Amino acid sequence: MSSLRAVFLFLASLSLFSFTGFGFLAYDAWKSRLKLEDKLAQSYNVLSHAQKAFDGDKKVELNFKLQPNFRQKTLTAFEKNRRSRTRLTHLLKTELSFQKYLYQLKPELTRRVQVYWLLAFVFSAVSSLLYFLFLKNSIFKPIFYLNRRMQDFLNNRYSYEFEAPANNELGRLHSAFNQLAQKVLDQIHDLTQLDRAKSEFLSIASHELRTPLTSIKGSLSLLEHGVIGEVNPETKSLLGIAGQETDRLIRLINELLDLAKIEAGQFPLNKKWIPLDQLLKKTKDSLQGLAESAHVKLEFHCNPHIETLIDSDRIQQVITNLASNAIKFSPKDSKVILRVIEENNNIILEVEDSGPGIAPEDQVLIFEKFRQATSEENPLVKGTGLGLAIARAIVEEHGGEISVRSFPGKGSVFLFSLCEWRLSKAIRVSA
Amino acid sequence: MKILMAEDDLNIVTIARMALEKIGKHEVVVVNDGNAALDKILNESFDVVLLDEMMPKLNGREVFAKYLASNKKHNRIIFMSANNRDLDDKPLVFPEVGFIAKPFDPMTLSQQIEAIISGSAHKQEAV
Repeated sequence: MSSLRAVFLFLASLSLFSFTGFGFLAYDAWKSRLKLEDKLAQSYNVLSHAQKAFDGDKKVELNFKLQPNFRQKTLTAFEKNRRSRTRLTHLLKTELSFQKYLYQLKPELTRRVQVYWLLAFVFSAVSSLLYFLFLKNSIFKPIFYLNRRMQDFLNNRYSYEFEAPANNELGRLHSAFNQLAQKVLDQIHDLTQLDRAKSEFLSIASHELRTPLTSIKGSLSLLEHGVIGEVNPETKSLLGIAGQETDRLIRLINELLDLAKIEAGQFPLNKKWIPLDQLLKKTKDSLQGLAESAHVKLEFHCNPHIETLIDSDRIQQVITNLASNAIKFSPKDSKVILRVIEENNNIILEVEDSGPGIAPEDQVLIFEKFRQATSEENPLVKGTGLGLAIARAIVEEHGGEISVRSFPGKGSVFLFSLCEWRLSKAIRVSA
Repeated sequence: MKILMAEDDLNIVTIARMALEKIGKHEVVVVNDGNAALDKILNESFDVVLLDEMMPKLNGREVFAKYLASNKKHNRIIFMSANNRDLDDKPLVFPEVGFIAKPFDPMTLSQQIEAIISGSAHKQEAV
């Protein structure tokens, strides 16, 4: 059947009209039967009056109306003129045969009432049954089936097995769902392809960018350090500049690729339990050169028993970024202090400097890409503008948060939290 | 030290050779593709092999896999690559092997190699 609505209308009208139709017929038959009873009663009346009139000479009171009119007229005429006996006899005869006819009609009418009622019930029962079957098989079954398919799709169990849905309203709904699902799957497929293309691009780009830089950096470094032969001081300083800028370009490429990987969701963390103070010591050692050239003192304070579950290279990258920023912006002979604080189940790493501070309106912006505060006095401030964006991404990948507390003129405190940490075994055992 | 360098980029070869020969005073043998590298690694002995990851014919990983499959373990292999390690889908297990990222600093290349060799020697002692 092509249209559920047509079937529904047919069944609905069948049940409605069969019930009302036969009900009306039954009612009609019942009414005829009542009328017949009425007529019979009248006829008895006529007969008894006529009988009385015929037998005795006393006046008969006609205290009822007779239909059809001729019966009344006959009786009244008989009252007036006792000689019209023939007409009375004739009336009695007709009345008797009329009664006989009515008696014959009575069971016929009774049966008709019964039959019509029965038909009305049978038809409504049959149409209800058809209606029930129709709802069950053509409406609820497809709905449940479609619902199951949708649940399966949501639970990633979509099957490609082909089956043509019925050509009706629910079937069209099912087809629409199939098309929708196919569209979603196609798009997922496209996205997967795109993702793969992106990671291939990242891999190729990093290789193709770093390979020429290897040669440039190598050549400059060999020349600058006089491996090929002594160079005069001016050449050396130019080579130094070229070398520094090459390093900056390498840093920029590394950070751009890091950021691209983070944004592509291809930033796997290699997490391990690591004593935090060891990592800090390593980081401090690597920053010592920069600190000395800026005449800044580094102080790292950490509880030696804290262990954290982190990707140590990445967290070192974050600490290096925060600490080197702090060093770059610190005045000569000041201190950059790193503290580790336990707070609300997290540990917080704070890097404090006594630099110029950050204006409140810039405190959110500095974590965005390519945003950096510039300083004309400080030549060390020459970054890529990506460091803090990467730091934030790394910290967030670890489930932590990064923020800054700063007042212009009073220095800044950059802090980030790490949530997976514990005290080392020695402490846990003694406790 | 006698060093085998498998590298297809001739500029990098020039720089690395200069760095290793002039600064580290090592002896450097160069091959330019994976097949040649595999041939040398299997049949000759070197103190260390610097193996580029992306090479024509046979890439560094394939060379390394074939070397491991050959059951010969007379050469120490150090990978050199311009790709970040963490971009790899499957990190290789590196028995007695190190990794030097490009761009490297030619002034400290010899030191890096020596550090990796002594590091792997320590690891072996520990095992």
